[in-house]
Amino acid sequence: MSTSQAIYAGWMEIPNSAVQPEARRSAEDAVLAALVDQYATALYRVAYSVLRNPADAEDAVQETFLRVVRHRDTLNEVRDHRVWLIRIVWNIVLDRKRRAKTRPETDDVAELARVLPLTGLSAEEAAAAAQHHAHVLACVEQLPSKEREVLMLSAFEELSSVEIAAVLGITESSVRSRLFRARNLVAGLLNHTRNPK
Amino acid sequence: MTANPHHPNLSASASGAAEDTLRVIASLPAPAGLEDRLRTALRKTPQPARVLAWPTGLKPHSDWMRSAAAAAIVLVVAGGGWGVYTRVEQNRPAKVIAMPPRIGAPGGFSGAGAMRTPQTIPGPAAPQPAQPKTAKKAVMPPGTKSARKSSAAGQAAAQK
Repeated sequence: MSTSQAIYAGWMEIPNSAVQPEARRSAEDAVLAALVDQYATALYRVAYSVLRNPADAEDAVQETFLRVVRHRDTLNEVRDHRVWLIRIVWNIVLDRKRRAKTRPETDDVAELARVLPLTGLSAEEAAAAAQHHAHVLACVEQLPSKEREVLMLSAFEELSSVEIAAVLGITESSVRSRLFRARNLVAGLLNHTRNPK
Repeated sequence: MTANPHHPNLSASASGAAEDTLRVIASLPAPAGLEDRLRTALRKTPQPARVLAWPTGLKPHSDWMRSAAAAAIVLVVAGGGWGVYTRVEQNRPAKVIAMPPRIGAPGGFSGAGAMRTPQTIPGPAAPQPAQPKTAKKAVMPPGTKSARKSSAAGQAAAQK
């Protein structure tokens, strides 16, 4: 069959076109379900690391998948689903955090002590560890946004510097330099708080 | 602000502590049943409505469809240009309409050859050149009204 014949055959595919959307939709649903199974946990952790509120993080993950549903036609064009999804959730959580600036942050020690896995520690040790984590997080919050974002994403062991660069839309060398600066800054902040002189 | 150069180990341990904390936060487990809740939420989401289902051969992404659309646009533009070109005559001489000489209507009013002369406004008078005073003040003869007035004033001053 020549190309033109095939084109004209396409015009005549009336019964097939009536069935195809359903088949395509079920295939897309299957892909979506697979994406949820595979990446929901990772996306939740990314969202929680920024928002530090379980309910908000879950909402952000849900919004991420709703956006995916809205752009389900372009799913085939996505090269790396994991980085793509992390980028979406990252933008969502940053936007939410920006909008909720007035709301008090959930960095209080009690909340951290409740959430963090502090098994095997006595009550005093657990309280001290939670306090330490809260203090470190407060120092991280003082970093400039560019450095803070790179530092937070670098904490995810499954993300390489190339993938962090893809999530943030910058070059890999920028990721490295920002990470270096962030480490220095946070060390300075922590030392300063330990030795205020 | 940079790391402490005198105590590199201190700086390394401080940044390490920060990264440890972030790693602990990043490795927190997701709440149980998250996937199920997400799947339920996605199922409830209304499907994006498709106004028109394209037939297979007419899919907007197909190459031949793009070519046909481009060709149609070119045809429309070229046809429109040709239409305008054929309707507009180039270097057309200007139309001159010879007007008939005006003839006064018989029995109507006529100006009788009167010409209007505009009213002239009287302009400002030119200043006259000052005349040199050659004549001295005339001496008033005694007995006139003015001479009497001046003599009376002189007498009053003398009495005072």
